[in-house]
Amino acid sequence: MRVIEPVWELGRGLARTFASLFEKPVTVQYPEEKREVRPRFRGRHVLKRYENGLEKCIGCSLCAAACPADAIFVEASENTDENRFSPGERYASTYEINMLRCIYCGFCEDACPTEAIVLGDNYELSFTDRRQAIYPKEMLLEPVPDAAMTTPRKVEPGVYQRSVPEMKDPQD
Amino acid sequence: MSLAQKYPNEVNQIMAKYPPEHKRSAVMPLLYLAQREEGYVTKDALKDIAQMLDITETDVASIVGFYSLYHDHKAGKYRMQVCTDLPCALRGADKFLADLCGNLGIQVGETTADGLITIEAVTCLAACDKAPMFQTQGPDGIKYHENMTVDKTLELIEALKSAGKEVK
Amino acid sequence: MTKQLTLTIDGVQVTVPEGTLVVDAAKMAGIDIPVFCYHPKMEPAGNCRMCLVEVGRPVIDRATGQAVMENGQPKIQFMPKLETACTNTVSEGMVVLTQTEKVTEGRKGTLEFLLTSHPLDCPICDKGGECPLQNLTVEHGPGKSRFLYDEKQHLAKHVPLGELIWLDRERCIQCARCIRFQDEIVGEAVLGFEARGRMTQIISLSEPGFDSVFSGNTSDICPVGALTTADFRFGARPWELKASASICSQCPVGCNTTFNTRREAKAGGEIVIKRVMPRQNEEVNEIWMCDKGRFAYHYAESAQRLVKPTVRQAKASWTDAFDLVTQTFEASKSDVVVLASGRLSNEDLFNLKSLADGLGGKSILYTDMGGGNLTAQVGVGQGTDLGKLGKGDTILVVASDLYEEAPVWYLRVKQAADRGATLIVANSRHTKLERFARYAIRYANGDEVKTVADLQGDSKIAQEFANAQNAVVFFGSDGLGLNGSANLAAACAKLLQDTKHVGKANNGLIGVWQRANDQGAWEMGFRPEADLASAFKNKIVYIVGADPAGDDPALALALKGARFIVVQDILETLTTHMADVVLPAQAYTEREGTYTSGERRVQRFYAAVPVHGEAKADFAIAGEIGRRLGLNTENGSAMVTFDRLAASVKDFAGLDTNKLAEVKPQWPIVGRGDLYYGGTTYENKQGLGVQLSTAAERGEAVSLPEVRAESALRPREDQLLAVPVTKLYDRGQTVASTELLTQRIGEPTVSLHPETAKRLGVAAGGRVSLAFNGLSAEALVKIDDTISAGVVLVPRSMGLAVREPVSVQVLGLAEAKVS
Repeated sequence: MRVIEPVWELGRGLARTFASLFEKPVTVQYPEEKREVRPRFRGRHVLKRYENGLEKCIGCSLCAAACPADAIFVEASENTDENRFSPGERYASTYEINMLRCIYCGFCEDACPTEAIVLGDNYELSFTDRRQAIYPKEMLLEPVPDAAMTTPRKVEPGVYQRSVPEMKDPQD
Repeated sequence: MSLAQKYPNEVNQIMAKYPPEHKRSAVMPLLYLAQREEGYVTKDALKDIAQMLDITETDVASIVGFYSLYHDHKAGKYRMQVCTDLPCALRGADKFLADLCGNLGIQVGETTADGLITIEAVTCLAACDKAPMFQTQGPDGIKYHENMTVDKTLELIEALKSAGKEVK
Repeated sequence: MTKQLTLTIDGVQVTVPEGTLVVDAAKMAGIDIPVFCYHPKMEPAGNCRMCLVEVGRPVIDRATGQAVMENGQPKIQFMPKLETACTNTVSEGMVVLTQTEKVTEGRKGTLEFLLTSHPLDCPICDKGGECPLQNLTVEHGPGKSRFLYDEKQHLAKHVPLGELIWLDRERCIQCARCIRFQDEIVGEAVLGFEARGRMTQIISLSEPGFDSVFSGNTSDICPVGALTTADFRFGARPWELKASASICSQCPVGCNTTFNTRREAKAGGEIVIKRVMPRQNEEVNEIWMCDKGRFAYHYAESAQRLVKPTVRQAKASWTDAFDLVTQTFEASKSDVVVLASGRLSNEDLFNLKSLADGLGGKSILYTDMGGGNLTAQVGVGQGTDLGKLGKGDTILVVASDLYEEAPVWYLRVKQAADRGATLIVANSRHTKLERFARYAIRYANGDEVKTVADLQGDSKIAQEFANAQNAVVFFGSDGLGLNGSANLAAACAKLLQDTKHVGKANNGLIGVWQRANDQGAWEMGFRPEADLASAFKNKIVYIVGADPAGDDPALALALKGARFIVVQDILETLTTHMADVVLPAQAYTEREGTYTSGERRVQRFYAAVPVHGEAKADFAIAGEIGRRLGLNTENGSAMVTFDRLAASVKDFAGLDTNKLAEVKPQWPIVGRGDLYYGGTTYENKQGLGVQLSTAAERGEAVSLPEVRAESALRPREDQLLAVPVTKLYDRGQTVASTELLTQRIGEPTVSLHPETAKRLGVAAGGRVSLAFNGLSAEALVKIDDTISAGVVLVPRSMGLAVREPVSVQVLGLAEAKVS
């Protein structure tokens, strides 16, 4: 009995190994092959735009206030109709996220009153230098589909007065 | 020309009514005097009165702004001032005003093309129970028109129009 | 002693003086009643309805006049409706309930109404984060509104009331705090309400818009973000700001301030000052400050800042610069002349004085105003508080335009007059303070001393001054130079001494100095010198914190006579261009130190931002030079220097950093969590400062100089006399670096009597050329019918170098009409 048991166990193990040779592999051939992320995955941030191309971000800095890792730095300036970035009076003239500090908790998304910042599905962040980890606004901002929709741009005076989109009922 | 130069007697009379240390009380009669000719208080007259009474222009302007019987801009022959305060609004003054403006083809605060009527929205004229209502200010004085409808108002405007022609 | 009354608020018994408002009584008991329109510094208005509470009063039996008892307790009759806590004064036995269901419902309703048309754009609002409306809505609000969002009123969000203050009409809740502040506290009603009901809005028609030097305060007390300053607009969110305590360095009032700083990308990642806010000190600036102090701080970030020492205009190391300076000073010790200004701190001046004395050289105070030796003797006594002056007290303001020279003193003196103090304003022209004066004396230029001497006669004014309970005299240099103001000071000192208004609190002499720490410079032993040209001749001149060459071409010429020039300053100036060695100094925002205010209060300021370039603190530079010369001067710590100063300057004896940092509870209560009560002023946690005692107070012999009857230059028939006056916003480098103030600084403008103007053929707004002291200049013309016909008022620090009254030739210039 003493001899048989180890041999039996060894055989069982090898059989399992042998069997797995015919199983479908679970590994993905990254980077050639990329796996779809889950709908609620929290990856690198994107600063969204409205359909007309104006930036949703109004530079309110609430994301920076909510950030537990102090990864976000926002500096605001004043909008004019001649040189408009976002609706309303205020826009983010500087918007930086330190990706090394960010813990991808998504608090910034929750804090944003205009749904401007969204954690996207990009997880491919790599840097060779700490400075590169600081993503400026140009990198975070969603690209415009059409060059005429870029910001800043001249807009019809008096149209974009509201910085926060009006909500019918905040509890909806 | 300053107010005191234009109406020396009236100004002196008004100023004499109030003790010098309370001369600011003369602001209301002076404002009436100032808008006698043009139908509104000009910017210069505003400055004039402020200087005469040793108060700031802003003070005078806020008095002009408070009362519906003082005006700081030119208007048509008749000012039609519709009360839109809460009780009147509850009785449909808002809708009345909007419909009236729509019928005349002008916005609140604007004057009809013929220069006859200026529509203004004002606060409380103390006739809440008879809303929608408005007061007209024109050459024939101040008149209240109560329990009004758009049709009745348009009739009134027609009457004013023809009355004007007759005078001519 | 006012009668004390006892009442019960939420079960807490509190005893307060008769006449106290319920809201204040609650505050004293530690109960916060929410308010928007009420402000403890102003008369109640009762127009926001936020402070509604249940008020009950004991039932009094009419027959007996006694309180009706019920179960051994006085029977309390509650009012059927809620009452405003801000307009009701307390009464004996009153019972106030602030937490009942009825009250809570009332608050909910009020907030629901206030928010009907409020834009709720808190994310972009500058007030967001320190906003009473935001805070109180969270605390007392309904959470959900029954009003329709579509029917919100949309109004202009971007209305300039002036170039300094912006109005957002949507955010305004019509509390009228700003209007009442301008009307009641400042006495300039440049803001008003227009229209009625829902259309009520704030207007300002003054020229320029919101024409007041206190406009920034309205943004502090605004309970919403309706009034914002152009300077801070969207600059940062309040919670991102760090606060450092400081003292304003613009005038001798010594307002306690707070610098709000933040790291900024626009400034290349540096920590910069984002805004300046007042810090409460009820004995100095209460909770206010003027716009100059609030906005004119940008010079410290100017591109003109000196960042590296230069030797003969070439960049050099500190070692080389120190070596050269030390060698030069060593070689000709007693030939060293130190010229320093009151822009420096007490420590700087102490070290400079020690250096000059150690070398056997001369120390000169750079100023055009004399009399500082007298304020140390008969200045205001310890514990002086202008806020306590009222009925029975007298304030004399002579040869000073407080509104332009020391705005917060204007405010305090005006309010003392409102409380019933006798205000005597003596000047050669109309000043803004005159409106509040019981007696306004207009003297001819040159009669300043005589006017003050006449106040010792039998006239009604003289009697009132002599019999006053307390008397304070402010003297300045309006229309006067160094000698004239020194003579005037002597006359004022004699008046105070003879009427026994010296040596006690709320009595004595206050100099309205031209710079913030002139008083401190006098204390350290610096004295002005009338003839700077001969003082410079063949000397080694060490100029600190002053720009004589820029101020007066005559002084630039005089400096050419100097053998060697060392200039220590924070900004590049004409004087630094003439220097053999330039030593870059730190701005007061980058270091710590103390200033002595005009009321002789020693107050400490702290570093707020990092040092610019290689600059060193003034005291450290002087201390280092001293050390290298074998003197035992401190070159490291400002507070060690202060300790040494306290040990050797008699009036400072016993002072130390702990004493300067002492605070006591102040009324009104500001800071804490309740921003709605006192505005966004900062609570003072860093020290109220210490007032120095005067010689008269210590019972020492007071030796006053003889009053010299011969007076200043007078206008002659055939000639015009140019006299210097101070303008708040001038072209001094500390002000002109602030772009925002450019419009208010304006062009150099001289004032002429209408007759003079007529004779010269110029009208208001026209141009004249002026020739004086061998110089010529052009200026715009303002007409002032309150000055004498022979006088031309010339503003100081506006490029017209009139430092003393001087005869002037004025020519009207025909100007091409600008179409």
